[in-house]
Amino acid sequence: MILVKDLSIERSNKKIFENVNLSLGSGKIILLKGKNGSGKTTLLKALLNLIEPSSGAIYWKGKLLKKNLYNFFNHVTYISDKTSSLSKLSVQENIKIWKKFFLSDISNSQVENILKTLQLDIYLNQKVNSLSFGETKKLEFLRLIIENKKIWILDEPLSNLDDDSIDIIAQTFEDHRSKEGSIIFSSHQESEINVSEEVLL
Amino acid sequence: MKFLVNPGNFNKFADYVFLPVLISSIILFSIGLIFAFYLSPDDYQQGSTVRIMYVHVPSAWLALLTYAIMTLYSIAGLAFRIPFGFIINTAVAPIGAVFTLICIISGSLWGKPMWGTWWVWDARLTSVAILFIIYLIIIFMNLSFENRIVREKVVAIFVLVGSINLPIVKFSVDWWNTLHQPATISKLSKPSIDPSMMIPLIIMTFAFIMVGLVIAILRIKTEIISRKSNLI
Amino acid sequence: MIILNKMISFYYREYKLNLSGFQDILTNIIFFFVSIFIFIFSIGPDKETISSIGIGIVWTLLLLSSTLSLRKFYQDDFENGNLLIMHLNGFSFGFITILKTFSHFIFVQLPFLLSIPIASILLNIANDKVIYLFSSFIIGSFILSCLGSISSSMNLMNQRNFLLGSVIVMIFSVPIIIFSVGIVNIEENFNSLISILFGVLLIVFAINPWASGLCLKLALENN
Repeated sequence: MILVKDLSIERSNKKIFENVNLSLGSGKIILLKGKNGSGKTTLLKALLNLIEPSSGAIYWKGKLLKKNLYNFFNHVTYISDKTSSLSKLSVQENIKIWKKFFLSDISNSQVENILKTLQLDIYLNQKVNSLSFGETKKLEFLRLIIENKKIWILDEPLSNLDDDSIDIIAQTFEDHRSKEGSIIFSSHQESEINVSEEVLL
Repeated sequence: MKFLVNPGNFNKFADYVFLPVLISSIILFSIGLIFAFYLSPDDYQQGSTVRIMYVHVPSAWLALLTYAIMTLYSIAGLAFRIPFGFIINTAVAPIGAVFTLICIISGSLWGKPMWGTWWVWDARLTSVAILFIIYLIIIFMNLSFENRIVREKVVAIFVLVGSINLPIVKFSVDWWNTLHQPATISKLSKPSIDPSMMIPLIIMTFAFIMVGLVIAILRIKTEIISRKSNLI
Repeated sequence: MIILNKMISFYYREYKLNLSGFQDILTNIIFFFVSIFIFIFSIGPDKETISSIGIGIVWTLLLLSSTLSLRKFYQDDFENGNLLIMHLNGFSFGFITILKTFSHFIFVQLPFLLSIPIASILLNIANDKVIYLFSSFIIGSFILSCLGSISSSMNLMNQRNFLLGSVIVMIFSVPIIIFSVGIVNIEENFNSLISILFGVLLIVFAINPWASGLCLKLALENN
């Protein structure tokens, strides 16, 4: 569905990467690999139309991404390197806000199940700023599931997570893939997630 | 006319023009000062203090003109994506600030003998003071952003928002009853100024323009060079 | 309808956020009152003087205390990535700034409305003038919200010198102060002055989504 053709990006006269080709169909998981500063985040931002490519183009459903932007945004969600949960509120209040904001019809028992698999159910009434960094990272995945969109664009989702948590995340990835969703994520570390394609930047 | 939008062409053009501009600025300034101090008559009301006008009025005009140029180049930079507009913006702002400062200082030196006070809070003086502070904010913005791309665009947006002040400065003497006298020279009517004062005023205006051009050319050239070598 | 639901849930979110940070708003109001005390002590407790310059003092301090919370206007949402999430959920950047401006007006500026009667007692302002003060404050504070949105979005990427943001708001708020204080002091000109103030409001409201939307986009692109 997303097609990246010969994308290259320059910022202040410095080439970040050149001629990247990608295609992200349904049920596909793509891993972006590369060193620090190789342009993983830049590529993901270009996919979200935040950065203008200096040459090449990105297509969504056969049309240029720029022309089809809000249709694209209906199907895409993003995790940045920061945590989007509101740190002053409790986990439960955050979930309530997300459910309202994303107009989600997910039931409470489903949310509880996900919380249990993410091992976050004991923190339900605690404030987010009392959670550890890895736990807030896992809370982000709850947001993705509540948001219920086809394409996940994830920037370093596995950093600061231990092996058990990575297994859980791998399981959520598999679930998402089985629902014909697609994922593109960046990582600089080796992991056991079953990916269908690796792109080296 | 490509030198107005293209850094390379500007550099070539500036090399031709720089020496003539420098020489003519020196000549015009000396002639203008001789005219202003010795050859122009005293005013029948204001006496000898009217000679402050030959500094005050040109600097006020140029303060406004500089901001107008910055506004035009901000539009060029933002809407037509001409990066030269941002170069002009950063290079020219301090010049405008200095002209505004000269205008304010000479004005209050003129105001003390005429109005009996250094400063009054009327519309013209206040709006010029605001213009000066806007110039200062632009300079500080240029200094305080780390990221060049963000900086130049944000400054351009600020210049555009601040350009609301320009018509207020220009028309403040017509819109409000102010102590400051209305414009003596306007396009629509015959100027209410005697040729013996008009001639030194025009000479001084051109002298100021030439001095401003000399500084502007130097500053724009350094800006282009430092951008090319990615110093900022 | 979807966009309406999303707007309602946006304000629900803002309400929750501001409720959890309620002490910040209270601190602003306390700052307002403490500066009134300081003003009175520095001028001297002469009733005539205080009531003649009281309205000017109220407006100055309202402006100063509303610039105190400017840093939080977009900074939190920018840093935890919520601006981007809102954008991905179908809000354009200009629309986000409009929503945020209204939210700032409701949750930060309107609480000052309650403190105006108390301040007018402290500063000996006549009762019939308080009504004019109210009406000028409602329009004027919305202008301040718009200006705050512009300046704080400009300074999102400015790590060195955030005070510049407050200076920008204060320099553009000069006409607001002139006309708002004029409304209260020259009552027979009420209609004309409030129309001018309303005109300023419309101008600033029209500039706001363009300028701050562009600045938000720039900041998100380049951070």
